[in-house]
Amino acid sequence: MMKKFGEVILLLLLLLLFFVPHAEGTRYSLPGKPALTRCRSPEKETFTCWWEPGSDGGLPTTYALYYRKENSETVYECPDYHTAGKNSCFFNKNDTSIWVNYNITVVASNALGSTFSDPVDIDVVYIVKPNPPEKVAVTVMEDKGWPFLRVSWEPPHKADTRSGWITLIYELRVKLDGENEWEMHLAGQQKMFNIFSLRSGGRYLVQVRCKPDHGFWSEWSSASHIKVPDYFHRERSVWILITVFFAFIFLIVSWCIHINSHSLKHCILPPVPGPKIRGFDKQLLKNGKSEDIFSALVVSDFPPTSSSNYEDLLVEYLEVYIPEEQELILEESKDLHDGCLKPKGSTFDSDSGRGSCDSHTLLMDKCGEAKDDEQQTDQDGSQTGSEAQRQQAAWEQEALTYAHEDMISPDMSSGRVKTWPSVFSPLPQYSLSPLSQPSSLETAKQHCLSDSLFPPASLSSYLTQPGQSTKEALRSSYSDFCSSNKQPHLLHPQPDARHHLQAHSDVNISSIGHKEAPAGLQLPTVQSTEYVEVHTVNEDDMVLLHPVPSGHSHGKGCLQMHQGEDYSKVNGVDKNNVLLLQRDVIEEQVDMCPCENQDMNGATESCCTSAQKSIPCIHTTLPVQEEKAVNGYVDTATMFPLPIH
Amino acid sequence: MAQRRTNGSKLLMTVLCVVAACRAVPVTDLLDRASQRSDRLHSLSTMLTQELDSHFPPIGRVIMPRPAMCHTSSLQTPNDKEQALQVSESDLLSLARSLLRAWVDPLLVLSSSANTLPHPAQNSISNKIQELQEHSKSLGDGLNVLSGKMGPAAQTMSLLPYRGGNDLGQDKISKLINFQFLLSCLRRDSHKIDSFLKVLRCRAARMQPEMC
Repeated sequence: MMKKFGEVILLLLLLLLFFVPHAEGTRYSLPGKPALTRCRSPEKETFTCWWEPGSDGGLPTTYALYYRKENSETVYECPDYHTAGKNSCFFNKNDTSIWVNYNITVVASNALGSTFSDPVDIDVVYIVKPNPPEKVAVTVMEDKGWPFLRVSWEPPHKADTRSGWITLIYELRVKLDGENEWEMHLAGQQKMFNIFSLRSGGRYLVQVRCKPDHGFWSEWSSASHIKVPDYFHRERSVWILITVFFAFIFLIVSWCIHINSHSLKHCILPPVPGPKIRGFDKQLLKNGKSEDIFSALVVSDFPPTSSSNYEDLLVEYLEVYIPEEQELILEESKDLHDGCLKPKGSTFDSDSGRGSCDSHTLLMDKCGEAKDDEQQTDQDGSQTGSEAQRQQAAWEQEALTYAHEDMISPDMSSGRVKTWPSVFSPLPQYSLSPLSQPSSLETAKQHCLSDSLFPPASLSSYLTQPGQSTKEALRSSYSDFCSSNKQPHLLHPQPDARHHLQAHSDVNISSIGHKEAPAGLQLPTVQSTEYVEVHTVNEDDMVLLHPVPSGHSHGKGCLQMHQGEDYSKVNGVDKNNVLLLQRDVIEEQVDMCPCENQDMNGATESCCTSAQKSIPCIHTTLPVQEEKAVNGYVDTATMFPLPIH
Repeated sequence: MAQRRTNGSKLLMTVLCVVAACRAVPVTDLLDRASQRSDRLHSLSTMLTQELDSHFPPIGRVIMPRPAMCHTSSLQTPNDKEQALQVSESDLLSLARSLLRAWVDPLLVLSSSANTLPHPAQNSISNKIQELQEHSKSLGDGLNVLSGKMGPAAQTMSLLPYRGGNDLGQDKISKLINFQFLLSCLRRDSHKIDSFLKVLRCRAARMQPEMC
């Protein structure tokens, strides 16, 4: 009985023993997969590999590392598991070969089985990571009074740099104690380095690391502390000197300013000028007697109660003076617009007020344009023929202006012969060419003008030649004004003609000037005086003058030719400085409005050409009274005998 | 006559002085320059392998030929430091020159293949191979000069012909794999050359330890 009971208990125990482990075995598993984390060689002679174990699997797990070299199939196990610590394998010199691939695998095994890691191929030469440099020494040294740090170190003792087996390059970093920013310095292969630009009294930390030529950086060496001594006093003395110096300068400057304060005040803040009225006494004002003050202001002869000569009041009344040509030219150029504008302010009686811009119908409107025209003529030589006429008209007006302003007093009261454009006409040889359609402005302009004025054949007989050089200057200035582009065939001026031209201009000026003086005495609104305006210049170098009735019967720029005799053509100047007029019988009446007003109209040319069908009597010498007028105005009615032919 | 003689002697003196002043570049300097070039060579090849590896098909790593298949593997080179330090200077130089010479032709193949390499970094790779060729050429010339100074033993060279042909492969994968394989062989060989030259440099500069 007892025996049976013992057997049953034994059986039960055995069963228990059997089942218990079986029940616990379901929680066990194979070990997790380990992984080789890294392999490193500090000196290219040995190397170590570390791995990371996987999950435990619940059972005690053992790890083994196996490797295979490149050329053989033999599998070796790790020779040393302990030197490098846990989960590591150390390969010593005997087991290390370089330039040979190692195929390394880690195996984790427990009671249930083994797990292999992924194999890793390494070559020892590519995994070099040296130890940090050793014996880092930092000292403070001085360079001409300024301190600097000298850092020196040695390579890690294991790395064989002596034989050239390993070549190391170094790097160090510096920072002030307490700051976050490191200052990096690459030192190359040298084992010593200087650091400058230190803060006096600062505490520095220095660290060094190294790297093989083809490998990984080592860890930083342990920090070395150093304290830079104070050289504060030396800096300070310099600053004290500078401060004292500037204080001294400042004192001197302020003293100078104080001395000259009065004159400086005048310089910087100039006194505001008070009003200075002649006869105005400030004291009187202060005294408060206004009657006295203002009576003192009254000037006895203002405003002028007696009427003096109009001529005195007229702004445009200028004394004629025939100076050198240069002065003429200057005056011409600058008075052009003054002359143009002046008439606007002058009296508006029928005879006067035209001033240099003479016929207000013609010239005052065009005065403003004159300048533009002039510029246009100067600069744009390729204007069409249609434009030429307008330019020509404007140019005539300008010429008139010149003549009137500079050389003649624009006497409003007397008739004016606006023949003076001829004075400024350009080279007379333009007349030689027939009045073809000029392609350029100048051609047309000059053409018309010179044609009407100077018959080429008759020039020489008419003109004296006083002072040719001056006249050339006059002409040249005008030609500059007039046009800058000359036709090629116009580039050979006949000098004679030019001189003649100049002479003529002079003559005109002088003769007119003289005449003008007596005429000037005539007060305005002399209806009997005839105004002669240069209207056009025809192809015979003749300036076509048209008598202008004193009434403002002509519209804007519209000249109507009157019937009958027309003594408005200036034929020329004879050698006695006599203006030769030509009487023409005008057969047709042409409405010159389009000629005057239209700017770019080729019809103006035709007007010019067709206007005068008079007999070209230009060759006839017409004796003319020599009039030495003060101004350039010619009164056809009174001055010249009418040429009859 | 006397004047001409003095002129001639003056000329002779100047010529002698010039000749004396023009000394040959010392061997240490030559080795220093050579090691710098070989350093650059190895850096380039390392960069190339890394660049190629960035877009490499994973299958390629599996079927990559073993390094023992490099055409220069037949050359016996020291396997560790003791062996390397026991090799004579002439032998070291000879090894370096042989290895360098062995890569002239494969570099041509690499260069031509780089133009059509199916890789995103193809342009950069092509440029680096170009640079590699230039450095290799100039280093070869420098080593020739050096060998002339180091005796007849340094003049001997081992022939390591490249038998891989001009074509790296027909399809994209094989092309890349072969390209990478060649580059890995080049990387190792350039490291060998660099190491040998630096050992030589340190040995030649016994009086100047800062060189090492």
